[in-house]
Amino acid sequence: MKLSSVQVDAMQELGNIGAAHAATTLSQMLSSTVEMSVPKIRVIDVSQLADYIGDEPAALVVFELQGEIPHGGYIIVYISRKSAVRLTNTMLGLTDMDRPLNEMDESALIEVGNIMASAFLDATAELLGFVMLPSPPALTIDMAHAAMQSLIAQMQEEIDEVMLFSTELMCEEHRIDSDIIMMPETSTLKTFVERLENLMKTQ
Amino acid sequence: MTEPVSPNKVPVMIGIGEYYIGSSAMMTIGLGSCIGLTIYDRDLHIGAMVHIMLPDSSGRIDRPGKYADTAIPLLLNKLTERGSQRTSLVVKMAGGACMFEYFGNNLNIGERNAERVRAVLAENHLRISAEEVGGKSGRTVAFYPDEKGKVTVRSADGSAHEI
Repeated sequence: MKLSSVQVDAMQELGNIGAAHAATTLSQMLSSTVEMSVPKIRVIDVSQLADYIGDEPAALVVFELQGEIPHGGYIIVYISRKSAVRLTNTMLGLTDMDRPLNEMDESALIEVGNIMASAFLDATAELLGFVMLPSPPALTIDMAHAAMQSLIAQMQEEIDEVMLFSTELMCEEHRIDSDIIMMPETSTLKTFVERLENLMKTQ
Repeated sequence: MTEPVSPNKVPVMIGIGEYYIGSSAMMTIGLGSCIGLTIYDRDLHIGAMVHIMLPDSSGRIDRPGKYADTAIPLLLNKLTERGSQRTSLVVKMAGGACMFEYFGNNLNIGERNAERVRAVLAENHLRISAEEVGGKSGRTVAFYPDEKGKVTVRSADGSAHEI
């Protein structure tokens, strides 16, 4: 689906609001300042996915979008492996960077992902005026491209182009870098855009 | 054993649904449920590689490399055009992992991809000589037709081995 520049702006605003809430929760969890980038909307041909997401190891906490739209697509909290260690070290009061991630780390990452994704969805759902809930989380610490590719392959509507809707959240003090990525189904994206256009008309 | 990598050894990168045929090194990165399939011609020293995403094309013809049922006949036709004989071909595959069991809802695409690849190869009287499929982890696959069709599989922790 092609988006007009007005629609892109509207979606960016939606991402802005969602990411701002997620950033606030992350900032509270780390007791530190978290900055966020301008949300980016990219429409990528699946054959080019590797240009954007490589095979470097990362922690991905993945949720399916549920609620009024039953299989709405996915929301992904992406944290590079190094950032993931720094994040859980900060949360658990550890300092060793050169260590394998254990069950404690995994629980911590799932918890962070859960809180961030819920904050993101709460805020965007409120704006859109319908219920969007995250599914229970799934965590993988593996090649990012492999994880994203697996999600794309199991989307309900087969696609050749994927819309990635991403915002970077950075905590400079602890050098933690993360991304919130939303990958809606085509029909979900249409619903988003319709709702946003209606909102703009009524204002 | 390891030779320095010369500039012309930069592998051809094969994205989702793409394929390549030739004698240069080829690579497909970050396979999750996707399949990286390689076919090496041991007489002509050329090879073909494809990055398959789904088992069935359901009649779609615009991206033949994306589906198991269309990708394999496509590669075989291209190799035949170059003079390959079926008896010279060595087939290997890697990928087909299931990284998110929870979202699987009875559709393990990785497993279905691998099954379909085997079935389509059988229809074409070909067998797989080596494979590394399934599991929960991603894989990056490199294929070197100019090194006797060597295929290496690397995982997220950086460890690599030949299959």
